[in-house]
Amino acid sequence: MLGRTAQNLFWLSRYVERAENMARLLEVGYRMSLTSHREGGESEHLISMMQAAEVDEAFEATGKVATVDTVAQFMVFDETNPSSVKACLFAARTNARSVRTAITSDMWESLNSAWLEFSQIKPRDVRGAKLLGLLQWIKQRSHEFRGALLGTILRDEGFAFSQAGNFVERADNTARILDMKYFVLLPRADLVGGDLDIQQWTLILRAASAHRSYRHFYRDRYQPEKIADFLILRHQMPRSLAHCSRMLGQTLDSLAELYGRRVDCHDAVAELCAMVEGTNMEKIFRRGLHEFLTEFIARNNRVTECLSESYNFY
Amino acid sequence: MRLTIHHELTVTPPEDAGSLVLQLLLTPANHGNQRVESWRVEMPGIGHAARFADAHGNTVHLVNLRPEGRLRISASGRVVTTDTNGIVAPSETEPVPTLYLRTTALTRVPVTLYGKFRNMKHDRIALLHALMERVSETYAEPGRQQQSQDADLQSQGQSQSQSQSQTQNSEEGAEPIPAEIIAPSAEQMAHAFIGAARALDIPARYVTGYLCGIDGHEGLHAWAEAYEPTLGWIGFDPELQLCPTDRHVRLAAGLDAADVRPVRAVPVAGEPETVSVEVSIA
Amino acid sequence: MDENVPFDEMYASDGSVREPYRVLKQWIEEQPERALTLMQSDAEGLFRKLGITFAVYGSDEGNEKLIPFDVIPRIISAAEWRRLSKGIEQRVRALNAFLYDIYHRQEIIKAGRVPEKLIVNNAAFCPQMMGLNPAKNVYAHIIGVDIVRVGPDEFYVLEDNLRTPSGVSYMLEDREAMMQLAPDLFQRSRVAPVETYPENLRRTLQSVAPDGSGSNPNIAVLTPGIYNSAYFEHSFLADQMGAHLCEGPDLFVEGGKVYMRTTTGPERVDVIYRRIDDEYIDPLTFNPDSLLGVPGLFNAYRAGNVTLVNAPGTGIADDKAVYTYVPAIIEFYLGEKAILNNVPTYNCTDEDQRAWVLENIGDLVVKEVHGSGGYGMLVGPTSTKAQQAEFKKKIEARPDNYIVQPTLALSTCPTYVQSGIAPRHVDLRPYVLVGDEVRITPGGLTRVALKKGSLVVNSSQGGGTKDTWVLED
Repeated sequence: MLGRTAQNLFWLSRYVERAENMARLLEVGYRMSLTSHREGGESEHLISMMQAAEVDEAFEATGKVATVDTVAQFMVFDETNPSSVKACLFAARTNARSVRTAITSDMWESLNSAWLEFSQIKPRDVRGAKLLGLLQWIKQRSHEFRGALLGTILRDEGFAFSQAGNFVERADNTARILDMKYFVLLPRADLVGGDLDIQQWTLILRAASAHRSYRHFYRDRYQPEKIADFLILRHQMPRSLAHCSRMLGQTLDSLAELYGRRVDCHDAVAELCAMVEGTNMEKIFRRGLHEFLTEFIARNNRVTECLSESYNFY
Repeated sequence: MRLTIHHELTVTPPEDAGSLVLQLLLTPANHGNQRVESWRVEMPGIGHAARFADAHGNTVHLVNLRPEGRLRISASGRVVTTDTNGIVAPSETEPVPTLYLRTTALTRVPVTLYGKFRNMKHDRIALLHALMERVSETYAEPGRQQQSQDADLQSQGQSQSQSQSQTQNSEEGAEPIPAEIIAPSAEQMAHAFIGAARALDIPARYVTGYLCGIDGHEGLHAWAEAYEPTLGWIGFDPELQLCPTDRHVRLAAGLDAADVRPVRAVPVAGEPETVSVEVSIA
Repeated sequence: MDENVPFDEMYASDGSVREPYRVLKQWIEEQPERALTLMQSDAEGLFRKLGITFAVYGSDEGNEKLIPFDVIPRIISAAEWRRLSKGIEQRVRALNAFLYDIYHRQEIIKAGRVPEKLIVNNAAFCPQMMGLNPAKNVYAHIIGVDIVRVGPDEFYVLEDNLRTPSGVSYMLEDREAMMQLAPDLFQRSRVAPVETYPENLRRTLQSVAPDGSGSNPNIAVLTPGIYNSAYFEHSFLADQMGAHLCEGPDLFVEGGKVYMRTTTGPERVDVIYRRIDDEYIDPLTFNPDSLLGVPGLFNAYRAGNVTLVNAPGTGIADDKAVYTYVPAIIEFYLGEKAILNNVPTYNCTDEDQRAWVLENIGDLVVKEVHGSGGYGMLVGPTSTKAQQAEFKKKIEARPDNYIVQPTLALSTCPTYVQSGIAPRHVDLRPYVLVGDEVRITPGGLTRVALKKGSLVVNSSQGGGTKDTWVLED
């Protein structure tokens, strides 16, 4: 397979995943802003959400006041924001066009129709109550694409590079959400937590689509260390760091098997996995949650770098 | 005459070039009037270079490398020449003469240069000698000869693309003095001669080579060859106003200078610089 | 023949149905009301779903248009096709022989059958090709010959496309669509298959691989990338024949050989079906500013380590000025008379002919020698006085830049338009593959001028396509 094809498949998956994550983050920011009754609360929530998405500085540069409308326009439609849903879908489709021969027609049709339909949406029509519907639609199209991929693509190297992109992006996203709010997850004397804490915890869990699965898993009230445990160490949780890194490891193992050799990125992913295997939250808290997450993000980036060196992305 | 030649040049690749592809036209061929006894082209990566003949029958090296700073290239060897009054023995590998009727951007000349020779077409040899003289006078270095009335002629015929620079030194250790790889006058005169000949329906081609001490000229040089049906290709050196002798070593031939640049690189490096050319009688 | 009533391929002049169209005519009559309308809209959905689009320059990103498809097939009888394919094969053999000669000893010029001046300074002539021996001496491997019909037995070749003819994906997708839309019509007719094209393309490319490539040479399709208007076709063909779809930066030359950058390191490439123009394939030999090409590619080709399809410099054989000499070219190399006629062409550099042309410009078609796609063209009968005056001036200024032909009454075929079924003008582009043997796909691309009375069939000028059926005996 051409190195460029592998690269395109990797980024194709990353961009679809990112579009979905942006929609999810925006949904959280929107919900939070609705429940804030303080003066300036709406703007604060939205900005902290954009920090998690790492688009806060870009938004600031637009010079606009953060309201639901301006932030939604920025995160969904603004082409100058490289992480906007529109920019992600466009990049995903461009990557897909470059590798039309390496993806199935179901994958292409899913992505192509998503783009064509999205292009028909007028930004000014998406206000107020319409926003949630649109965000739901974006998530569904991402699921549809993933379904087409899982259901139709050959289980060869192309599948491996797609999966790698998906899990690298998702791990990055979860780690960033956690890092954004790590301080509300730190163990404290008052274990119960006030309303504000509960609101913050809900934000984190919702951003990872984990607010309901948390209940299923723990059958308990929200507790900060359990939230951290769920999103970092629990393989059962599909957006957890443990799950993403394990899947990434398996994916790269399949490449090693296919190509008959192990390369640098296998070491890089082994180091990533080692961070979340055979440890517990107590140890992580002792070391410092923020430090842990920073290192995880760096190691996750290192996997991308090694991957692109080892397999001739360019 | 047995001549030894040693030609050194350098290429400075762009700083961010990950890889460089070079094409070298630095290998003389055997002809009736020149026999190559030994020849070596040396540079990093030459061991894996592809070697083949181009459309004009020249020997080309294609070299790939990951450059680390400035590259040194050298071409050297021994060539035995005989004086044939400029007549070049035909070679099996060269294309049909009609190819060399093609007008190129570098060989456009004003009609004032050749118009008056139209009625001489019946005697091609005489015509070509007269043309050599005319070109030589018209394009002689400004200041040395009459200049004013031909000034616009010169600017029209001037080549646009060749701005190669070069340094020549004869003494060991001396600072090289920047100069052109091939004197612009030689290139310009060869182009003018070729353009005029073609306009008169005479096939003509551009030749690069080495020169060994004629009137103090030494080093890399350029001249022209024109076709005459009975004699074949005949060399004309308008800069020196003579037909090539046994002191001319033929390197490569083509439609114009752009066709036979000794070194070409992608991505475009700075123009190659000749460090030194030494040609001496062995 | 009456100028005003063009030959119709379905109805003879006495109003009877011509034999090849008998089954189709019956089928159309059996269709319930609105069936064709439904079929037409189904076809559009089908094409959009398959993603058969062409990019429109200058429009919004991601904005791709469909070329209209007409649901009524164009039909050619077995006997008609036999003659056409013989004529086409003769032509492509002669043109390849011509290319070999022009890039070697130029015997045809020495023999005075083609003027020296026509070749020497022709922009389409590629001096770098001199003396090069392509595998099996084939230069033009993939050819699309544009043919028009003006009567029951009268076919003319309008143009030989020997550079990188496009449109073959439409031929294949039109057939695919037609089989989905009207399976019953296929059951009643014996239609020669076109689906063999990708396999034949692969065989042709394999057969011209350099010596020592092994039994399964590595084939790459070289595309300028996703913004090229024919990108769909590039990816379609690569996909259909199992070739790698590469862009310039995916390939590199080392030691005179061509490699692709794969996930597991360099992999040798033997044959490149390039869809990049000559000028851009190698910045070392041609346009130094090209970012689309591969530095050293032409040298690797010269060294005999890779085959380029088509060879650079094939344009000299489909040059509009050389076109008039094709009958002479056929005679010179094959010693045969041309089976297919050229359209009579007037030479404006000849004073008498020019005077006649200027006087009768309202009845003639004027084409720029290096124009394509219907641009730089005047169709006399449908032009305004002002346009005619403009072209007169152009011809007088540069007579060598134009060729002039009579306006041909292109044949018409029944076509589904808003008002129902009506005759529209068509042309035909059969696709030819030349490798170890000549392979002509029975059928080709029929382009149809959808506007009433229009003779311009180019998709950029409002033309559509039809599935083209060659009937078997």
